[in-house]
Amino acid sequence: MVHNDKFMFPYEGAWSDGREKLLCLDTGSWRVNRPVLDKEKCNYCSLCALYCPPQCLKDMGDHYAPDLDYCKGCGICARECPRGAISMMPEGEFADDSAKR
Amino acid sequence: MTKQKKKPKIYDYFKETEDPYAGGVAWCPGCTLELTARFVPKVLGNDIILVGCPCCAAPVLYGQNLGTWHRLSYFSSLMTGVASSATGISRYYRKIGRDATVVCFTGDGCSADVGFQPLSGAAERNERIIYITYDNEGYMNTGYQRSSTTPMGASTSTTPAGTISHGKPTPAKNVPLLMAMQGAAYAATATLSHLDDFARKLTKARQKIKEGFVYIHVFSPCVMGWRIEADMSIQVCRMAVRTNYFPLWEAENGRFRLTHEVSSPKPVQEYLRLIRKFSHLKETEINEFQQMVDRKYAVIKRLCVTE
Amino acid sequence: MIAQKGKKMVITGNATAAYGAMLCRPDVATSYPITPMSEVAEQLSAFRANGLMETEMVEVEGENSAMNVVAGASMAGGRTFTATSSWGLSFMYDAVQHAAGFRAPIVMVIANREAPGILAVSGGQQDIISVRDAGWIQIIVEEGQEILDTIIMAYRLAEDYDIQLPVMVNYDGFYLSYMATAIEIPEQTDVDHFLATLKEQPKRQVLEPGVALGCGTHGIEKGFVELRYRQCVAMERAAAKLDEIDREFGELFGRSYGGQIEEYRIDDADIVVVASGGVAGTAKVAVDTKREQGIKVGLIKLRLFRPFPRQRLVEALNGKKAIGVIDRSVGFGWDCGPMAMELRALTPEIGIVPILSYIDGLANLDITIPHIERAIDEVQSAALGKSYQEVTWIPLEE
Ligand SMILES: Cc1ncc(C[n+]2csc(CCOP(=O)(O)OP(=O)(O)O)c2C)c(N)n1
Ligand code: SF4
Ligand code: SF4
Ligand code: SF4
Repeated sequence: MVHNDKFMFPYEGAWSDGREKLLCLDTGSWRVNRPVLDKEKCNYCSLCALYCPPQCLKDMGDHYAPDLDYCKGCGICARECPRGAISMMPEGEFADDSAKR
Repeated sequence: MTKQKKKPKIYDYFKETEDPYAGGVAWCPGCTLELTARFVPKVLGNDIILVGCPCCAAPVLYGQNLGTWHRLSYFSSLMTGVASSATGISRYYRKIGRDATVVCFTGDGCSADVGFQPLSGAAERNERIIYITYDNEGYMNTGYQRSSTTPMGASTSTTPAGTISHGKPTPAKNVPLLMAMQGAAYAATATLSHLDDFARKLTKARQKIKEGFVYIHVFSPCVMGWRIEADMSIQVCRMAVRTNYFPLWEAENGRFRLTHEVSSPKPVQEYLRLIRKFSHLKETEINEFQQMVDRKYAVIKRLCVTE
Repeated sequence: MIAQKGKKMVITGNATAAYGAMLCRPDVATSYPITPMSEVAEQLSAFRANGLMETEMVEVEGENSAMNVVAGASMAGGRTFTATSSWGLSFMYDAVQHAAGFRAPIVMVIANREAPGILAVSGGQQDIISVRDAGWIQIIVEEGQEILDTIIMAYRLAEDYDIQLPVMVNYDGFYLSYMATAIEIPEQTDVDHFLATLKEQPKRQVLEPGVALGCGTHGIEKGFVELRYRQCVAMERAAAKLDEIDREFGELFGRSYGGQIEEYRIDDADIVVVASGGVAGTAKVAVDTKREQGIKVGLIKLRLFRPFPRQRLVEALNGKKAIGVIDRSVGFGWDCGPMAMELRALTPEIGIVPILSYIDGLANLDITIPHIERAIDEVQSAALGKSYQEVTWIPLEE
């Protein structure tokens, strides 16, 4: 016997609903290399942020910082930075970094 | 060190519209599809209705039970029915006098192959829809098989290079050109290295949809299927433009124009060597490829009016 | 309230279908021509061209698109209509299933025709049989007026908040599609009134630009099962709902069709013939003749095929001694007609009685009165305990 109050969908038909919260993956855990910025070299041109596929480089006013919860470590920001201000460092080096994420 | 004050104009788009996607979604690191998918609503706005189908975009565009990865209004069609479902949605809104932008978003496998008939039909009927193809030159979602936009010579899982085969034997179908030739109100090519160009074309799409069918073909390298380094995908886009492999053009009511003319194109070999799906090509095949690029470019060039 | 007398017109079955659709004021309609329903498309376009209806007509480039267009429009909130037949139905099959999964309340008419495989530009019911598990409600009608009336009722059924399923209204291709009969076209205000009840119901979920709702989500694990379950439950509800709507239609318009099934001389019958579509008319004549000869035979006209009118059939067939089923299609892998096979599944409820399957009327061949009389004789003999042949391909035995 199926009880209607057990239904997960509030209406008939296959509808997803993102009005409240969204699904989200821990894509930060995929990262093998982490982008690290040399602030001295950065001129805040924003190209890295434009090209970042997950759009996870956050505007810090005078530079961009990756949101490490989502940064997949693809390295596009480093490759595209015209000033070579970003380098990709192995994640392992940050293993005991308490500020990791 | 003096910080640059003025940002490129393109940056404005990124500031204004809230990203409708969750931060972490299931696209491969370095995938240009992710950038395309996040970029489109930034320019077109979040009040669009997106119509899609099974493809690499689907794992993110589709919901999972009640959950969803984005805040866009979304209709999941079949590979065979994207342009026609969008037609139905757009016609209904026209009937009730509601202003709504219906945007199809599919891979090349849909638009060039199994979804080509409805696409061509919608273009011919001049439906008020925007159709955006992200072209990763194959069926990536099902395991990197060839599609009809796969270029000649590419090794894919159904055209593998082997002792006898040298990859796909025939050149790619030029879908944007076909759409322009069908008389689309606006047809254009775009890619991710040239985001300002892409943004301008999307802005134009928003205006031109009032007149009729709009088609934008976005060159979107697939990191996994093409076997390129994750950080190289934007470089691959740029090189595709610089070698004239993927010329950037637009056609407004049949009037063609190169939107980014390359003054001294590089040999296509420089593009091919970035991508391992071409690594088996011998010199003669690379020469043939160059000829094919030149021929295709010459067609576009002849159609274009110089400003 | 009682409806006004509508004006009478002598029109074909196809034109009747187009009138039926027009009266329901669809927002979006599509169709792609195919024999024998092309006239439906032409008629609708003519109505549109002459300003008789405001429907957005989409002249699609194929049936697959016809179905996808109405599926999209339906999920955006529109009332939709389309029409096809045979190969056209096959070509839209993926979208037919998709639309049902969406719970899109589309109404589609089908002028039944043989399915592809063996070329036949001729009638038969193989087309709808091959989509019986697509999740659509399937109603089969007998004659012209019933086409029009059933289309109107189909919208009440499809769009009912408790149902939200697409409906196919089937009529015989070639015979009924081309045959002109006198049809009463109801007044628009009366049809509007009949359909207005739907407006009092809760609103179904539809697409909204800018609202984070996704139509056609992946059903994952239990979510998938729930969605399928609810599709099936809605389908079950449709059976009794059709009876209700048919009754209400009868009260308003003075015409009703029995809902799920039409029972003809069933009450005191010993044996029963089951048929659907236009052949039911012929069968009524054969039943009358045989009654005069003293055989207590009745007829059940199967109107609803999906959902299968199980309960109504059990009530009508209870205590009957033998049943003959006439199919205008074949059931591959079950040496009998598809409707006969489904009736056999009622055995636990009606008891073990001979069920004789007759395959006839394929490829436009006439199902004549003698054919049906022969069937009645054989069913009667089986009822008396004599041995019988389970399946009879009538045209091959003549
Ligand atoms: C009618 C149909 N045939 C086959 C499939 C299986 N399928 C799922 S995704 C896909 C490939 C899609 O390729 P494309 O549109 O280029 O998108 P990509 O995966 O490359 O992003 C295929 C063939 C399907 N979903 N529907
Ligand atoms: S691209 Fe380089 S220079 Fe420009 S903002 Fe990013 S890190 Fe700074
Ligand atoms: S590594 Fe890739 S994902 Fe991470 S910030 Fe750079 S571009 Fe973005
Ligand atoms: S397989 Fe290719 S197209 Fe698909 S998500 Fe991965 S990189 Fe992108």
